[in-house]
Amino acid sequence: MKILKLTLISLFTIALVACKKDGKTTDNSKDSLTAKKDSVVVPEVYKEYYGVYTGDFAGKGMITSEDGEQYEGEVYKKISLKINRITKDSVYGQSIVEGNQRPFRGIFNESSKSFVLDEPGNDKYDGRFEVKLNSDSLTGKWNAFNKSAVKAPVKSLKLVKKEFVYNPNFMLNKDNDLIDWENPKNFVEKYTDEETGKTESYTASKNRIASDAVFKVNASTQKLSEKDLKNLRKLDMEIIKNSVFARHGYSFKKATYRNFFEQTDWYIPVSNNVDKDLSPMEKENVALLNRFIKYAEDKYDSFGR
Amino acid sequence: MLLIKRNISTLIKILLIIGFGYFFWLMLKITLEYIPLRADVSFLMIKQTEVGQRSEYLYFFYTHVYTSIFVLLSGFLAILRKDFGLKNFHKNAGKIYIFLILLFAAPSGIYMGIFANGGIVSKISFVILGFLWWFSTFKAYQLARQKKFKEHKQWMWRSFALTISAITLRMWKVIIVYLFHPNPMDVYQIIVWLGWVPNILLIEYLIAKKHI
Repeated sequence: MKILKLTLISLFTIALVACKKDGKTTDNSKDSLTAKKDSVVVPEVYKEYYGVYTGDFAGKGMITSEDGEQYEGEVYKKISLKINRITKDSVYGQSIVEGNQRPFRGIFNESSKSFVLDEPGNDKYDGRFEVKLNSDSLTGKWNAFNKSAVKAPVKSLKLVKKEFVYNPNFMLNKDNDLIDWENPKNFVEKYTDEETGKTESYTASKNRIASDAVFKVNASTQKLSEKDLKNLRKLDMEIIKNSVFARHGYSFKKATYRNFFEQTDWYIPVSNNVDKDLSPMEKENVALLNRFIKYAEDKYDSFGR
Repeated sequence: MLLIKRNISTLIKILLIIGFGYFFWLMLKITLEYIPLRADVSFLMIKQTEVGQRSEYLYFFYTHVYTSIFVLLSGFLAILRKDFGLKNFHKNAGKIYIFLILLFAAPSGIYMGIFANGGIVSKISFVILGFLWWFSTFKAYQLARQKKFKEHKQWMWRSFALTISAITLRMWKVIIVYLFHPNPMDVYQIIVWLGWVPNILLIEYLIAKKHI
């Protein structure tokens, strides 16, 4: 009985604390609620500006060169701003960078055709966008709310309006770079100097390279069988699997996949969760691919089959 | 001179015993991946086509997995040709080895060979291996019954060389993947042959040179 009481009390306290923490988020949901109510009253204006604007998000950062040296330079990321609704006094939408999807709210200045958009502020990477519309392009800057918490508190944006469409036939193509630069494997190599006869060892690194199977196997258009996957390496299968998610506009958290798909002109990251958009066949293929990726990971180079 | 020679051969024997012990441990670990019995674990992860379409596949597969580990052990204990103070130890270990191969491990191995990964190249290899395995073991059994022990010993070495292909096949895989990083089924088509052909050639050489 005593234990039950204690548990109840502690649960209650946790619930209370949780409420406090969520204070800001509750505000947000209230926002969207009022927004919904507003929509009946307040007419939407400038519907022609709705849509996805995607492009470069550039800020100062450290870059590691091939020989391992670090220097300061411009770091480019891909960002998408989704404008969902514009009313007389408010703009609603979302920003998405590297799988981090944030709602924003702001205002639209009709005379200068510019937006001021604020993210909620309860995430380290939240900030304010100040962007200007010029026919189909959206350019401007972003300032972090918490300037000391992020590496690049000021960033510039250069976006173009793009129509997001799901097309199961989109794939990587032969012009794309198929090297995975993000997961180098280090190994020691020996080198013998021919003149002195001295042997020295040095560390070299190797990157994974995908095969042209990623141009041929499409998990969105064909039902895959075990036979189709048996002779593929892990990276190939990872790309084939993630192509499905890329087609649905998934914003990848892993740099490996961002690098592959951002090379294409069709990839537009619009969401950090597309699971419910997958077709039944895509879901089956992804499950099969997951099993084979796991097998490749566990067994490819180990004592076994 | 004779003493040195004898010492060297004892040393080689000890090394072989330690080596077998290590690889037997690895094989035991692989076997334990299949306990508890599941339809989609380890190697079966890429065999769901067969598991789904052929209701008998899992029976043959698990017969092979669960008996083969004892085949390895009993075969090794018998090939030492010592009784370790136990009456008929060699004979009994040999009986278990023969019984398990002839009735379970070889027939199930041949069945799985028919559905092996890596296409016709590997299927042919595994099926030949299975038949040779069964035949050499059967021959060794017959010769023991006829008390032709010299030939019994030779055929047992042939049989055990094929048994050991379970280990050598996996050793070759590690080596080839380390050196060349080929695609998984390309490795497989190579190791299905490398696993047993060199083994049997070595034994034939030793028999021809009258070492066995």
